[in-house]
Amino acid sequence: MTRKRRIYDGILNALTYLSSGIAVIILVMVLQFVFVRGWSGVNFDLLSKPYWSGNNTIEFPQFKTGAFDRPDHLGDDIAFSEKLGIGLSDGLDAYKEHQVVVEYLDPESPLHHGVVSTAGVDLGKELGLSEGSNIVNLMLKDTDDKIVNVGAQRKSTAEETVAAMDNISEMRKIYFKTEGGGINGSLKATLYLIGLSLVIALPIGIAAAIYLNEYAKANRVTNAMRSSIELLSGVPSIIFGLMGVSVLFPITQLMGIHTVSIILGALTMAVVLLPLIIRQTEESLKVVPIDLRYASLSLGATQTQTIFKVILPSALPGILTATLLSISRIIGESAALIYTMGTFIADRPRLDQGATTLAVQIWSLMSGEQPNFELSSTISIIILLIVLALNVSVKLISYRINKKWSVS
Amino acid sequence: MKTFEIKDLNLWYGDFHALKDIDMDIRNNKVSAFIGPSGCGKSTFLRVLNRMNDLIDGTKITGQVLFNGQEIYAPESDVVTLRTKVGMVFQKPNPFPMSVYDNVAYGLRVQGIKNKAVLNDTVEDSLKKAALWEEVKDRLSDNALQLSGGQQQRLCIARAIALSPEVILMDEPTSALDPIATGKIEELMESLKKDYTIAIVTLSMQQAARISDYTAFFLLGDLIEMGPTREVFHKPNDKRTEDYITGRFG
Repeated sequence: MTRKRRIYDGILNALTYLSSGIAVIILVMVLQFVFVRGWSGVNFDLLSKPYWSGNNTIEFPQFKTGAFDRPDHLGDDIAFSEKLGIGLSDGLDAYKEHQVVVEYLDPESPLHHGVVSTAGVDLGKELGLSEGSNIVNLMLKDTDDKIVNVGAQRKSTAEETVAAMDNISEMRKIYFKTEGGGINGSLKATLYLIGLSLVIALPIGIAAAIYLNEYAKANRVTNAMRSSIELLSGVPSIIFGLMGVSVLFPITQLMGIHTVSIILGALTMAVVLLPLIIRQTEESLKVVPIDLRYASLSLGATQTQTIFKVILPSALPGILTATLLSISRIIGESAALIYTMGTFIADRPRLDQGATTLAVQIWSLMSGEQPNFELSSTISIIILLIVLALNVSVKLISYRINKKWSVS
Repeated sequence: MKTFEIKDLNLWYGDFHALKDIDMDIRNNKVSAFIGPSGCGKSTFLRVLNRMNDLIDGTKITGQVLFNGQEIYAPESDVVTLRTKVGMVFQKPNPFPMSVYDNVAYGLRVQGIKNKAVLNDTVEDSLKKAALWEEVKDRLSDNALQLSGGQQQRLCIARAIALSPEVILMDEPTSALDPIATGKIEELMESLKKDYTIAIVTLSMQQAARISDYTAFFLLGDLIEMGPTREVFHKPNDKRTEDYITGRFG
């Protein structure tokens, strides 16, 4: 009997150890996958760079070469042109295509003073070469008056390009791509969406929670309301997306918006967030000690005064928690937003136009013909870091709540 | 003078008959103590006097409760006004999680009084009456939850006094306090008696004997007897009172 029991216990214990081990291993695997793929791309530039690279062709009406000294900080792998004051290196873009990248540009370099030569509204505008750009094609006349083309398109290395530059007599045209692959637009769109969704959902959610917890009588209608809110939090978000397109779209149409837009996304997210905010707020209203209600009422306050002067302020940390959880939810949401905000990565997001949040940008990057694993993983790391920070804040706040109430 | 006259009072919580045919007078500027074993209706009776039982679902009350000759359960009676005249101090100190000052000023502010000078005067005056001023005058903006338990309870008394009530109801106000803090509250009650009518529920018979002028003994929802404290404690009319006071049951 004892032996049998010991074996039985051993099996059960082993099962629990194994299961928790599997959970940890999976977590480590996910993190490792994301970090190995994406860590090299994490830097502050990413946050300020646009996603789309700009195509520019510029000419140089007054062109003069100079004599520049190679700065000491340039690495050995960077080729430096002493006539033009430019440092170039070989690079690869997100799709493993060869690039000739501008690593350094002397402040005095003549390449700062170009004008746009492509037909269009920008024709004739001043535009210089910028650091981080990729020189696709550079057309120049060499000292033998021969036209020479170099650049990424011609498969020239940085060395070869610099060699051609140092043999220049006249600069003709530079076709370059400004640096892209950033997440600035999605970051802004995410912030807009968070702000707008919370502005819509928080007041409604808090007011509904106050009604349910403070005013509503304990009857069938209230119970039905509570269960439907519970149910709402279990609905897959893609259904909210469908609802957004069909039900909320006409509302944004009334505002004169005829496409998917951040506003439509925010309205949809507000619906997604409502159950979360209502539940969380109700929980935090419930834990306000009943003694405080009695104290307030016994001092001749009305019920409404009691709610707004005592109970709601006491529930504020809980409401803050709800807000942070909502932000997490918005950052993590993708399905509901694909329908309502579209999947086009906008570098300059506007409230009345479509845009992608960080999570949806990953979707956009991965759903194309050439999935961009690196940038997607980098964005994943950024999302994970933000969510981690939010979770830590939630923990800190709940810790403070507990401390606050245990004193009294 | 009778502050409260209670006639034929019955109270039910749902089906539970919590108070049975209570007749009682509460005299002004006296301390009336309600004693009896737990669950016998003392606190319920206390909450009848400022209608705090209204907050409990399923409460039903019959009979008369006259406050200064006015029926407080009459439809035209205003419960908010009643509670400003009949203040209450609870078993566990329950200051609001606000500053000491805001706690005392709360009652006035909800009445719509915003005048800074009036508020300042009332806060100081109330804290002095509650024998707390010297201890907190430099800490008025501190959170009230940082005070000790005894200080918190005196703050709650100050908070009730700030509304200049006629009556202060105290529901086992010292049961959560240590003997020293209890001593201070008892001293305080002695001095408050001059200005206020006090009704106190207590589980400690020594406390009732020390501080009260009248004592009422409750048992299982019945008021067994009420009289001057000396008489109730030395020659009770009812056998059950004697048994309880002498510790034969409880």
